[in-house]
Amino acid sequence: MSPNYILKRLMMIVYTLFVVSLIVFAITQVLPADAAVMMLGENATDEALNALRQSMGLDAPIWAQYGHWLGSLLQGDFGTSLRTGQPVGPIMFEALGRSLLLAVLSIGLMLVLAIPLGIIAAIRRGKVADMVVSLVSYAGVSLPEFVTATLAVLFFADLMKWLPPTGYVPLTENFVDGIRYLVLPVCVISIILIAHVSRMVRSELVDVLHTDYIRAARMKGLSGGTVLRRHALRNALLPTITIVALDVGYLLGGVIVVEEIFAIPGIGRQLIVAIQARDLPAIQAGVLIMAATYSIVNFVADILYAWLDKRIQYD
Amino acid sequence: MIEFLKRLLRTPQGAIGVTLVALVLVAVVLGPTLAPHDPEALSPLARYKGPSTAFWLGTDQYGRDIFSRLLIGARATVTMAVFATIVGTLIGAIVGTASAFMGGRADEFIMRTIDAVMSIPSLLFALLIVNLLGSSTINALVAVAIAFAPGMARITRSVALAVRKQDYVNAAIARGEGSSYIVMREMLPNVIAPIVVEMTIRVSFAVMLFATLSFLGLGAQPPAAEWGLMVSEARRYMHLSAGILIWPSAAIAIVAVGFNLLGDGLRDALNPRT
Amino acid sequence: MTDNTKNAVLDVRNYSLDYKTANGTFHALKDISLEIARGEILGLVGESGSGKTSLAWSIMRYLPGNARETSGKILLSGEDLAQKSSSEIENMRGKRISMVFQDPSTSLNPTLSLGSQLSEVLVRHRGLTRKQAWSEGEAMLARVGLKTPAAMMHRMPHEASGGEKQRVVIATAFACNPECIIFDEPTTALDVITSRQILDLFVELQAETGVASLYISHDLALVSRTAGRVAVIRRGELVEQGSVGEIFTTPRQDYTRELIAAVPDPRRRLVAGQVPTDAQPLVRVEDVSVHYGRKPFLAALTGRKHERVTGNRAVSLSVNQGEILGIVGESGSGKSTLAKAMTGLNPFEGKIWFDGRPITGLKDMNTVYRKDVQIIFQHPDASLNPRQRIGEILSRPLKLYGDAANLDQQIGDMLEQVRLPRTHASRYPHQLSGGEKQRVAIARAFASRPKLVICDEITSALDVSVQASIVQLLLELQKAGNTAYLFITHDLNLIRQIAHRIAVMYRGDLIEIAPADQIDSPQRADYTRRLLDAVPPPVGSAA
Repeated sequence: MSPNYILKRLMMIVYTLFVVSLIVFAITQVLPADAAVMMLGENATDEALNALRQSMGLDAPIWAQYGHWLGSLLQGDFGTSLRTGQPVGPIMFEALGRSLLLAVLSIGLMLVLAIPLGIIAAIRRGKVADMVVSLVSYAGVSLPEFVTATLAVLFFADLMKWLPPTGYVPLTENFVDGIRYLVLPVCVISIILIAHVSRMVRSELVDVLHTDYIRAARMKGLSGGTVLRRHALRNALLPTITIVALDVGYLLGGVIVVEEIFAIPGIGRQLIVAIQARDLPAIQAGVLIMAATYSIVNFVADILYAWLDKRIQYD
Repeated sequence: MIEFLKRLLRTPQGAIGVTLVALVLVAVVLGPTLAPHDPEALSPLARYKGPSTAFWLGTDQYGRDIFSRLLIGARATVTMAVFATIVGTLIGAIVGTASAFMGGRADEFIMRTIDAVMSIPSLLFALLIVNLLGSSTINALVAVAIAFAPGMARITRSVALAVRKQDYVNAAIARGEGSSYIVMREMLPNVIAPIVVEMTIRVSFAVMLFATLSFLGLGAQPPAAEWGLMVSEARRYMHLSAGILIWPSAAIAIVAVGFNLLGDGLRDALNPRT
Repeated sequence: MTDNTKNAVLDVRNYSLDYKTANGTFHALKDISLEIARGEILGLVGESGSGKTSLAWSIMRYLPGNARETSGKILLSGEDLAQKSSSEIENMRGKRISMVFQDPSTSLNPTLSLGSQLSEVLVRHRGLTRKQAWSEGEAMLARVGLKTPAAMMHRMPHEASGGEKQRVVIATAFACNPECIIFDEPTTALDVITSRQILDLFVELQAETGVASLYISHDLALVSRTAGRVAVIRRGELVEQGSVGEIFTTPRQDYTRELIAAVPDPRRRLVAGQVPTDAQPLVRVEDVSVHYGRKPFLAALTGRKHERVTGNRAVSLSVNQGEILGIVGESGSGKSTLAKAMTGLNPFEGKIWFDGRPITGLKDMNTVYRKDVQIIFQHPDASLNPRQRIGEILSRPLKLYGDAANLDQQIGDMLEQVRLPRTHASRYPHQLSGGEKQRVAIARAFASRPKLVICDEITSALDVSVQASIVQLLLELQKAGNTAYLFITHDLNLIRQIAHRIAVMYRGDLIEIAPADQIDSPQRADYTRRLLDAVPPPVGSAA
């Protein structure tokens, strides 16, 4: 892996964010919403509206508006919320922190469960354990988050009263309660990921177990367990890095739904609120931050992969 | 065709997938005829009823027959999902093939841009588009189609590039065949199969995405019998009757599982070498 | 006989093996009996699907779940392997009996260093610590002729050449001084010269250690030079076995005779002397160079120098009407690159003269040129579209160049011309055997009655007996139409049999061109002589 490869990947992130900023700006421009009317209300006078439009630069040509927006962005200014009048940036980043907690816990749970499940299915290929894992994973990828979330609330909160239904308590405030509120959201988000990743781990490992080098290792007298640990898992789990990174896109979508259902004040909920209120600066900031998160995760995953897999020559 | 169906039914995935999807298709085509009740007929006296001979799956919070609503809703949910997937696949296939065909810098530019678009989660992308166009079923369809296009473009491109490298294409070039013959007769039949597989699996994602949009209030609007919307409406009353929540959820899951299994079955059946 | 049995290190007695499949029982091995004594090399020769690899896995006790051993025993130094528990088998593998695989690039784990893959067997069986095993491993790499064993231990498989990797695999197999080693086509995946070196190493180590060796190969010529005794296997049955001399000079079975006759032997020329050199050759390749790759965007931006890969460097040669020009070289020598340039599949610099007309690129290759110049590829699996019936595949050249009247009649005739039944027209490629598929590809190439056919390694994926019949077919077609061939191959013995002249290529350069009967003259270039030394003709008489 050369510095050139890292540089190239960094340039790809910059390009990604540029394209996303164009898309977001285009979509929010076409939205039938007048920022000035939203801020001053329906009853504002034309004079006041025009004055505000001028001060916000809304009367400038569209490219100038984009340039102005991008310029502020680069200085870390995401604009002011039309809904609350507060700066969007700090609100969104604070919300992002809560969402990342949710996402990281979900990925952690997913890895802890999906990898062993995939391994068991692969080494017991065609046996009962494999079929069970496969059935569960078909069911898992076929249940949208809003269904599992609603059912989970119905069962674990309403019927059994084991866990609180919705809400959020910061971990710093009350750790135990915070965790209790996070259990259901984290489980719901990770179901689809577990189903998908365990299937991927299984098929990668099945492929690896059929390679010549695994047979060769067995012919050296190494036991099945040693071969699995020393020779097979390393090769089979490497691609999982990329798969998980790509799944982060799906995970972020799940985060939106789950935060909405469980009333967690993360970036997904902020985005839904912003979209419903047509709060343009908030939508722009939220989408950009989500895209940036996804890009950075994939950048890290690619670098990690290249570092672990020394076979690949990057230039 | 018969032979192909036999190959498809040979694997358990194919057999179960075909059965489930066939059931769903029956509901889509004959739903309104089969429905025992008017899906929008309110009966305030028969609310939250459990399954009975009159109401096979019970009634909902307004006393409407859940089974009838599911049969009617199949049209809204499944037809839209299939249609959106086809549109998304077509757009993606054209962009992907063009990118593979142009190659070089243009290809690199298109693929990098597609990567960039894909950094927006598809649910969020769909939300933005629906919000831009206004909440309605048709707009949700457009949103899902657009959200699917980049992924399909990537897959089409990589399949097309792999086929392009095959010696039978080289042989056709060396023979002096025209580009249209090479693309239509040599490449297309080999490119289509994996794309059909991918498309089938994506129908299940589309069903889920549609339902999610409706659930969030951005797709179908009440009193439509769309399944996601039914779940959303049932949420407030779920402690009164779990059935109003469970049946539409099960319907979504059955469709998604069916198309998932069918896709996996097709993957084997469409492979000419097995 | 009794004495021999007592001394046998490996003793397979009346062994039979079945596989249960969806289509019924498949008899993989039928009543196999063979013995290998200490210090002996037994060559096991058979074509693909003959069961030779199944036997290797039976001996190693590594059989799939659907395998059933229906009779017989496998004894290692008198111990019945079937009676051993799985942990006893694991203790035995790598220690008392080991195996060398065909392709070192797939039999070594790509993510572990060569050293750790070698030393793990020492840790496992000789109870050494990792450190001891590592230094022992270095000594072993030195023993298998690697120049820098210490550095080699630390390398990853992708950082070593094929020959180096195979030496590591061999060192691993010999590491615990086993009683018996199975070699499963250990040189097939390697280049000619490398494979010769590996073979020399094997013979040397074998003599030194006296290990009983089972050498599995499809290559009779190669086995004849290494093994003491040979066993010929066909469809799961041993056809005959005996000393190399006996088998090759006085084979008792027809199948053995056919197999021996099919082995290319340069002393048995299949074409007559020379083709008269015309004033104007059919095709003249003039300073043709091919480069791969384009400048990456970032390199252009940063001004970093980017080196393009060279496929061909100013190659010049000519082919006369009706001449067979062989092109030989190792992988990466640029022989296929040239074929692709001549058919417009690679952009090239330089000029090709065809029938007196200059061709500088794809745009000059008109229908006449396409009709006259045809190419056949190595793998018929890849060159025949899996979704087209044979009839459609064969109809294309007719529609493109000829008259498309009576298509069915013409397609049937084409199939008969390549000795296939007319009914094959309605089949798909995957319903045909490898040899049949290559015949279809040949029929397609000859449909336009071309003047030049480029054969790119067209027999190397086929069994010897199939190869022989394909070569015979090609020579008949050549005589009938006075077609010229550009015959690309890595098989020197084969090309010496059939070519008028031979061109030798090495890393993109054309080394020299010589008449086939003078290719072994001492005046040849150094590289040509090394190539020839690596593949002596097979043992036995030239019939």
